[in-house]
Amino acid sequence: MAVGIFSWFLISLAVVGAHAATLTLQSPRFTISASDASQLRSEPLSLAQKPSTALSLGPSDVLKLTFQVVDKEGGKGVQPHQTFLRFYDEVTGEEGIQPVKVTPGGKAKFELNMARPPTSLPPTTTNPLKVSLYLGSFVHSPVQYELFDLVVPPSQPPAQHTEEASFHLRPEIHHTFRPEQKLPPKIISAFFAALLAAPWVVLLGLWSHIRPQVPHLFSPAILPFVATLAAFEALLVWYWVALRLGQVLLYASILAIPTALAGKRALTAVGDRRLGKSSK
Amino acid sequence: MAPTKTASQAKPRTASSQQSPVLTLWNAYNETTSTRLKTIDAFLVFLMLSGIIQFLYCILVTNFPFNAFLAGFSSCVGQFVLAASLRSQVNPANKNEFKEVSPERAFADFALGSIVLHFFVYNFLG
Repeated sequence: MAVGIFSWFLISLAVVGAHAATLTLQSPRFTISASDASQLRSEPLSLAQKPSTALSLGPSDVLKLTFQVVDKEGGKGVQPHQTFLRFYDEVTGEEGIQPVKVTPGGKAKFELNMARPPTSLPPTTTNPLKVSLYLGSFVHSPVQYELFDLVVPPSQPPAQHTEEASFHLRPEIHHTFRPEQKLPPKIISAFFAALLAAPWVVLLGLWSHIRPQVPHLFSPAILPFVATLAAFEALLVWYWVALRLGQVLLYASILAIPTALAGKRALTAVGDRRLGKSSK
Repeated sequence: MAPTKTASQAKPRTASSQQSPVLTLWNAYNETTSTRLKTIDAFLVFLMLSGIIQFLYCILVTNFPFNAFLAGFSSCVGQFVLAASLRSQVNPANKNEFKEVSPERAFADFALGSIVLHFFVYNFLG
């Protein structure tokens, strides 16, 4: 993105100032000093060719770059409208753009302190960064100078973009399913099934002990009710075996009518008998 | 529950005896509870035992046909609840609390509730 804007900017400058006067640098110079201010290397820069050996910065060294922007014909100091330093790593393609402040007289001073590197410095490896200067002005033609190669201590690898994975083939998804559940051994199931007969034994034993009296169970008033209730249960068993939901609801709604009538008749008879008994 | 209620009514009669409280309670229950209520109580015990055995099978062995377990266990629990409410409504000792509910009405409720419960249980049975 930044590169796109930047190049567009340069092109527009080139169109505007195609035939304008050109800019140049006067007495460009760099100085590398250690953290204790002792000078390690200090050389003037040539715009025509880069220094023979790349500039090398330690983890706490400071690079100072000074130059003055002047008009090529008049030799007068000029303040360009845009001044940028570009750090570019050819191998990884990482780059960083750093604006440089220029005084109205054209003098500029840039300081790169490796103890506190600016955010514009791209993620670095052991590869040298190509450092170039871009000058843009409304009245002068744009100019670009390859200043020098710079080797800085390697930084952390650049953070991966959050959507980086979306641009590659994803690993194939293998679904794992829960294994098929197994029935327990037949003998255990059979044992528990037999164990479920125990409550029936208890129930029948208790009932035979209690001997509940149902003297009127087969009387004409009550038998239909019991029969319809049994029919309901049979219908539900049938539902379990064969029927569908809609069918069972239909049959149940039909069966409900006689059941309700028979129930009303039977329970009225029982109630009458109870009240008659209590009144006696 | 209801058995304790009937037992507490009977307490003054057996309080003088030197039996253990549990035995006193049991005797009072046997003497004062009507046959109908005893029938329902036996049914309740049956449902409780069935439910316990099914639950034990579920936690000890497997719950594999889980729908079948749900059907069996919920039928026990639901039937227990219905039978217990039937018992409390037909209990003569609770007559004042259920003035407008005659025993016949209670049984009709029980029958209707049971049919609905069994319908859902068969749905789960699969």
